[in-house]
Amino acid sequence: MAGTIVEGRNVADNVTLTPDFCIIGSGAGGGVCALKLTEAGFDVLVLEEGPNIPKEKGPAPAQERKMLNEREVEMYKLLYQEGATRLTKNGGVKILQGRCLGGGTAVNWSACLPPRLETLDEWQKRGLPFTRQNLDPYLREVANYLPIVRNDKYNTSARMFMLGCAKHDIPHENLPNNTHNCRECGSCGVGCPYDRKMSGFVKWLPDAVALGATIYTDTKVDRLKASGDQIREVHAHFIDGKTRPTKRKLVVKPTKGVVMAAGAIGTPSILLRSDLDLDNRVGKYTHIHPTTITIGKYPDNTFPAYGVPDNMWTPKFAPGPTGYLIETGSFYPVLSASATLQHGDELHRIMRDYYPTGAISYAHHTTGFDEDEKYGTVELDRNGDPELDYKIPKANVKPMQESLVMMARIHLAAGATSVYVLRNPPLEVKQGDTFDEIRQIDFRSPQRATIFTVHVMGGCQMNKDNKRRCVNEDFTFSGKKNLWVADGSIFPTALGANPQVTIYSLALWAARQICDRHQRPFQFNHQQGGDWPWPGY
Amino acid sequence: MAGVLNSILAAAANPKKRSEVTASTFDCLDKKTALILFAVAEAVLGEGFLLKAPRFVETVDDYLNYQRPQQRDQFLLALLIAEVTYGPLISGNFKHFSHLSLADRRKILEKMRSSGQELRRNIYAAFVNVSASTYYASDLTWPDLNYKGVSVDHPDILTQPPPIPWRPKDLRPIEP
Repeated sequence: MAGTIVEGRNVADNVTLTPDFCIIGSGAGGGVCALKLTEAGFDVLVLEEGPNIPKEKGPAPAQERKMLNEREVEMYKLLYQEGATRLTKNGGVKILQGRCLGGGTAVNWSACLPPRLETLDEWQKRGLPFTRQNLDPYLREVANYLPIVRNDKYNTSARMFMLGCAKHDIPHENLPNNTHNCRECGSCGVGCPYDRKMSGFVKWLPDAVALGATIYTDTKVDRLKASGDQIREVHAHFIDGKTRPTKRKLVVKPTKGVVMAAGAIGTPSILLRSDLDLDNRVGKYTHIHPTTITIGKYPDNTFPAYGVPDNMWTPKFAPGPTGYLIETGSFYPVLSASATLQHGDELHRIMRDYYPTGAISYAHHTTGFDEDEKYGTVELDRNGDPELDYKIPKANVKPMQESLVMMARIHLAAGATSVYVLRNPPLEVKQGDTFDEIRQIDFRSPQRATIFTVHVMGGCQMNKDNKRRCVNEDFTFSGKKNLWVADGSIFPTALGANPQVTIYSLALWAARQICDRHQRPFQFNHQQGGDWPWPGY
Repeated sequence: MAGVLNSILAAAANPKKRSEVTASTFDCLDKKTALILFAVAEAVLGEGFLLKAPRFVETVDDYLNYQRPQQRDQFLLALLIAEVTYGPLISGNFKHFSHLSLADRRKILEKMRSSGQELRRNIYAAFVNVSASTYYASDLTWPDLNYKGVSVDHPDILTQPPPIPWRPKDLRPIEP
């Protein structure tokens, strides 16, 4: 019998539920676990803090999700944590994370890369069981189920990137993604209204609901209540359309267990609120991919908001503990304006000079491999809300400077007349410049440059080291037999690749562990056929 | 502590009245912080910015609902700090921020931006981020950027083949 989606904002009474499993979070980890545990015959309840995204025809042709109207400000406040204004504690890094049905899968740019092999090797040194070989069926299941495809629809940023890389003889690759019959509206980052991106609210979650799962949206988890080695209850409250608490509460008394999948800031924060801090291990060693950005200014209009945002990259600079991936994207007026540390006439000049004829490239930087570095810590503020205390690691400063230089070179080789670097004060470089000013940027001091991240990992890591371990090899939380963690918070380092596919795959692994524990069948349904999206991997 | 400081600064603040700020009920701002916000936005965006972003104050007020409460409180405190203390502390002018000329307010912004103090740079970033992103969220500003808006057909340039031969030996099927 099919399950349902309940919108917490409309719940009129306090509610108590007794499912087999309560999954906290509906993003990449939560969606996978919801489907696989429901397939295995469990009664599954998913709690999502953000809003539902109902299937409802909209005014635009082929629009399947009316509420996703592609307008930046409305969608940021609807679909992102803290209305897309989340910052690190020192204000130095802007953190973009999903907060809606489907979580990050609803708002990412659809890039699908497998875990970096060098990272898996490092994880094995730290006691994690994952290898390229034993992950293969999980990756294959994800690749075929979504499916992950090669999409040869290139936006202008990707086109300029191809030209620039070719001139510098830099290898560049199509970046597989999970879009189908893409309409090239460019709105992946504000939720695809056409169901052409295979996000969680299009694939995993409706499939789980069709098999009987129940999802509560607008439901913010306050804490878990434990007794001995068991989690007995999950306490939550409902929130309204402006994220304010309604007066109604939810208590879940799961009969078999709880799966944490609230992401690398959400999961540690709930555990901290529940006094499950494992002697201060929870929240520690939280990682991001700090992202540096350049905008090239070209002779002709580029229409930078439109087209597939993220399907061209270069792997050339990816190797190493502080390697970086240069990818291409889309950009929109609000996001651009928010990144420009400028005021007055110069603000408007930069917007008018660089937006109409601009092309973007950005670099995700790998971190987390230095075992002597503290990296980030998820803490609770005075209201019990999470904040990430994070400072750019020293080892990443030079690679961040060099990624900006390399991206500037690629733009200039492609024909850009100047390149805008998001430094404070803004920096424009031209052909013949030495790039010395880029190499002086102080990334460790907040607001000396604009730094984003869209990938947060760690904070509740799997590790053989007792001083760091929060999660065991079977994905159970230390000391709690019926509490599993199935999201990016288990990563002991940053991944060095867009993490969506890795989280999907590890969540499948986690779901298999849960099924094994309860002697229920776990099956792969999509191993055959398909078109392996990563040749040579 | 922040609450006490907020109360003291709010009592000291007497922002310049502006006829353009017409909203009378707010979710997160109040009359004083709305007037300071207007003075800040005018310094960031220029005089007459409401012509292209007529619901600027209301949009920011609504957006503040979605912020983490502590961060929202810090933003409101930043407005009060700038209003009451940055005139004398940064510009040497004893008028409050909102009473200063546009040129003097911009001098303060410039000094905040280049300040060695993390707090001042963070407040600068908050002011320019909020002002610029709210302004450019308005449809009326989009023609300046040649941005065609949402739910439109994608430009013809995207239907052209890639600019260089691409993967001629790769026989994998291409997704439609």
